[in-house]
Amino acid sequence: MANTVWREVREQVRDIQKIEVVVGIPTFNNAETVQTVVKAVQAGLSKVCPYASVLMMNADAGSQDGSAEAIKQALRPETPTVYVHHLEGGLLTGPISLQTLSESGVPGREHAFRAFFTVAEELQAKACVVVDANLRTLTPDWMDVLLRPVIEKGMDYVAPLFRRARYEGSLTNCIIYPLSRALYGKQMRYHTTGGYGFSGKLASLYLTKNFWEGEGTSYGIDSWLTTVAVAEGCEVSQGFLGTRIQDVKLTGIELSVVLAQAVGALFHLMETYQNVWEGTGGSSPVPQFGAPYEPGPAGGAVNVERMVSGFQQGLRDLLPIWEIILAPETLAGILALGLLEAEEFRFPETLWVQTIYDFALAYHEKALHREHLLKSLTPLYLGQTASLVLETREGSPEDVERAIERLCNTFESMKPYLTQRWRFP
Amino acid sequence: MSILWQEAMLEAFRETTLRIAHLLPKLLALLTFLALGLAAGWLVKTLLLRLLRAFRFDALCERFGLGSSLAKAGTKQSISDLVGRLSFWLVFLLFGFMGIDALDLTATTNMMRVIIGFLPHTLAALLLLLFGVILANFIGEAALIATVNAQIQEARIIASFIRWGVLVFTAAMVLTQLGIAKEIIVAAFSIMFGGIMLALAIAVGLGGQSIAKDVLEHRLRRGKAEQDDMSHI
Repeated sequence: MANTVWREVREQVRDIQKIEVVVGIPTFNNAETVQTVVKAVQAGLSKVCPYASVLMMNADAGSQDGSAEAIKQALRPETPTVYVHHLEGGLLTGPISLQTLSESGVPGREHAFRAFFTVAEELQAKACVVVDANLRTLTPDWMDVLLRPVIEKGMDYVAPLFRRARYEGSLTNCIIYPLSRALYGKQMRYHTTGGYGFSGKLASLYLTKNFWEGEGTSYGIDSWLTTVAVAEGCEVSQGFLGTRIQDVKLTGIELSVVLAQAVGALFHLMETYQNVWEGTGGSSPVPQFGAPYEPGPAGGAVNVERMVSGFQQGLRDLLPIWEIILAPETLAGILALGLLEAEEFRFPETLWVQTIYDFALAYHEKALHREHLLKSLTPLYLGQTASLVLETREGSPEDVERAIERLCNTFESMKPYLTQRWRFP
Repeated sequence: MSILWQEAMLEAFRETTLRIAHLLPKLLALLTFLALGLAAGWLVKTLLLRLLRAFRFDALCERFGLGSSLAKAGTKQSISDLVGRLSFWLVFLLFGFMGIDALDLTATTNMMRVIIGFLPHTLAALLLLLFGVILANFIGEAALIATVNAQIQEARIIASFIRWGVLVFTAAMVLTQLGIAKEIIVAAFSIMFGGIMLALAIAVGLGGQSIAKDVLEHRLRRGKAEQDDMSHI
């Protein structure tokens, strides 16, 4: 596939042999917002690197609303630009699997990233920035946060960091962030989509990884990008980009699918990077660019009763499956939670950490079909989220941050529980 | 008179001795085949058990819910033990049939032909059964998890219904493969399947009209009113 992309690009820009910055924009019916995004990117680039050679690249997943035309209209005529199409030009030969639909709303998103990295490598780019076309809050300052650390500070990876409303991204805060922090020792918040900055070196490294075909592709690319950069020992950082507002047209993706993709990606890479995380202890902060990170205000309604009832139904109906996955002492702790009333409901931190570690171990041992295993975590996750909300809803946004930090520390302190059982189940 | 009696006695004795002399090697062959069957069966069982354990066959079966299905049916042995035991008896029976064949009796020759002719059907039926049980467990489990995650209160009933549907379908296919009352099985299956669908249609359309309406209204309203206004990732 990489060769097809490169041929397609080469035909469009025959005279370019080398470039300094590649800006990738994946699109899927984003004509409404993409012009604002392109204009903001151009304004940002002229501030951050006015004399650098830049190639704009659009990877389209088969838009029907003229997204590519909208980009052409928004661009300055002198800007070198290339267009590749997922569905028409042969980037994808087969039908797009439902599994590859991500919350970003772009089908086959990983193919777009692969195309950007391929072109960055072929043109020996120093840096590659990828921004989503459905953003409504992208400003020229984003380029400063995503690109400058790569060009001037020698960073390999700049992950996005957003101001999010309270309890937004609780899957990230309760599982992805604490688990990856305990595993790889880097305090990356795992905010995904929006925008990323990569060095040319990291773009080439991504292309060598066994992700693009096989089991990995079903887990989505966003958390994979961060985990690989961290586990490979690259210079990683985070860039605070303020508030993110995105037009996500693809609604109705079930929570269990999102959970299976995000957690599955992390569990999948635990196999690959076993030797890295087994020897890592504690965690350290990563450099942060842009304004200082701040927790967001209170967000929309959270129906705690429904979450608790989801947990209780799981306890009633999925017990035979959890019996296979969980250790007897973990299961005993979870069974005791079934007796609590909705308002008194609390998921003890140590029990939650033990639960996640048991799921990781069961995934490793293939105790159950992996998709079933990951999806059966959903009611437990609802229980943990309900517990976090009940514990902190009367407090300040900082209380939520403190609760997450406490959870992270518990994940780190209980890591021996995982490492001891991983090799000798 | 006494000479005739003497000759008759001698003739009978000679014929019986001759028959015994003919039968004894065959009996000996039967016993040898049985002994060989025991030894070969034990050997095949041991080798197969080692192979299955090396490939973690029990864990694999557990993943597809086959182990728990057998446990529910009251079997305390592991799947690999069962396969080992089955292989022992298969090999032993094969040698047993050879032994019976060695007796060279007209009745047993016909029996052997029938048994050997039926063997491919039996093996195909066994494979169908295994595949059907694995599929039923897999689909049943997937349905259970999906309905629980959708917070449908009748999750277990729906999952059981789907699982048993696949099992009944498998049973019908197995019996058809074995050629047991083919026409009756096909007719019974069609009647049963059609009957269930009709019963469901009548139950929902007439008897449970108001309940179905309430459930749908509750679900659709809940979809709007009780949905969390938060992004999880």
